[in-house]
Amino acid sequence: MLELQRNVIFGQFVETGSFIHRMDARVKIAATSVLIVASFLIDDFPGFAVVLPLLIVIGVVSRIPLGYVLRGSRIFLAFLVFILTFQVLFYAGDVPESSYLWRWGILSVSTEGLYTAGILALRVLLLYYVTTMLMLTTSLVDLTNGLELIFGPLQRLRVPVNELVLVFVIAIKFVPIFIEEMERLARAQTARGVPFDEGGAITTARRLGRLLVPIFISGFARADTLTIAMNTRSYRGGRYRTKLRQMRASPSDWLSLALVTLWILVAWMV
Amino acid sequence: MQPDAAILELRGFAYTYLEGTPRASEAVRDVSFRIHRGERVGIVGATQSGKSTVIDSFAHLLRLKPGQIFYKGEDVAAPTHNRGRLRREIGIVFQQPDSQIIEDVVGADVAFGPTAAGLSAGETRERVEESLNTLGLPYEDYRLRYVHALSGGQRRRVAIAGVLAMHTPVLVLDEPMAGLDPRGRKELLELLVKLQRDRELTLIVCSASLTDASLLCDRFIVLDRGTVVMDGPVREILRQADRLAELDITLPEAVVGAREMHKLFPDFPTDLLTEDELESELLTRLGTA
Repeated sequence: MLELQRNVIFGQFVETGSFIHRMDARVKIAATSVLIVASFLIDDFPGFAVVLPLLIVIGVVSRIPLGYVLRGSRIFLAFLVFILTFQVLFYAGDVPESSYLWRWGILSVSTEGLYTAGILALRVLLLYYVTTMLMLTTSLVDLTNGLELIFGPLQRLRVPVNELVLVFVIAIKFVPIFIEEMERLARAQTARGVPFDEGGAITTARRLGRLLVPIFISGFARADTLTIAMNTRSYRGGRYRTKLRQMRASPSDWLSLALVTLWILVAWMV
Repeated sequence: MQPDAAILELRGFAYTYLEGTPRASEAVRDVSFRIHRGERVGIVGATQSGKSTVIDSFAHLLRLKPGQIFYKGEDVAAPTHNRGRLRREIGIVFQQPDSQIIEDVVGADVAFGPTAAGLSAGETRERVEESLNTLGLPYEDYRLRYVHALSGGQRRRVAIAGVLAMHTPVLVLDEPMAGLDPRGRKELLELLVKLQRDRELTLIVCSASLTDASLLCDRFIVLDRGTVVMDGPVREILRQADRLAELDITLPEAVVGAREMHKLFPDFPTDLLTEDELESELLTRLGTA
């Protein structure tokens, strides 16, 4: 039977009690930002080769099994391969005649095309990996608090930081909920004779498509309930909210951030 | 199949969701029981006791391992087992009716099962009409209504009609009375009793409350944290009212009253199903006192 939760881990939080889990959320967000910037700055293979050990270190220290992350990224990876195929076949840059490996009408495979697609793939993978790791290792409460504190100063400029962070966090939180909901729907419909557990990937995808309308309806119902729940508890955003738990970054947290930054600088220089 | 063979059998059923991932959670540890054709069984237990997982296992809606679930003596997890046929013979009404409603329009939704099973248009129409009428949703009135415009109770009835239209020999209901008003409960209760008798159904009802289940079932299987802790005839189970209360299972009102009396009169029975029974028991005491 279909277990979508295995195949989509986006937005999930897995508590393993590791050093990364215990790190100050603000530092983790900062380190993630550094890595995101790195994914734009680094533009050659040696650079990414330098970043790779850092990613392995993050993976090992977080104690989140690599197999779990990979299996949970299957759909994403399949989508990435699909996109990159087009990127290669329709590569529109300047290509000297000698570097064409294969050509047929407007479709072609060239070393330039492959190179660009390779760099692009590494960028997207880096981006995906660091954001996924941030969410796997940071609870939503910490993530919310961290983001609010980082962008807090902008409130003086009348930027509705609290509300924006709330919307962002709720959006992320809804992804696993939707996945669970889809699984529940798929199970109930299987019981009625729509065999979600039979047929290939395309058949299954088409069947999942039929769940979109009920998912939307339940999504709106959920959002409605959430609004009422927040209103009855007198939620109001902005500077009126105070924190029960104060965040404190330890020296080792700062050290980790410094290490990540330094590592990225080296990778960029290479 | 031998004459006394069980229609459904669980043998040391254990199940963990997302097994092998960091988010694994064990739902059922060790559940074994046999259900025979025509039985009316209540699977009861507090939340997290594993009821829903057990129900899902009947129609192979989980990633089952072989050797645990048997329908008519056949292992449902065997690769050669026909899952389509299994699901046409075991009808499940889920706790949230919305999840199993597939089409937008009432008539089309009830027709979904029979159509998928390959019935002719005429037969399908008959089944839809019969099922909707049985559930008190007159066919002519309701067949073209939008499901999402109906009330919660009506949607539950549409979901039940959709399963009834399949004419399954086994009918499983997960918390069928949740969200119904007293009149709706009474009507559904009477309907289920009648259906079970007329169609000789094997009826399995899952609930955290014994109030309705005790009037609907002959036998209770009590679950607690993924294991069977009691299994027997309804009255025999109700005699252990204190244990049931400990397990956080809602007792029928007659039993609640009887438990109070039991404190005063240690020989006062607690295996009472209705208020009438409680009343007559009280009257006998008054007569003898």
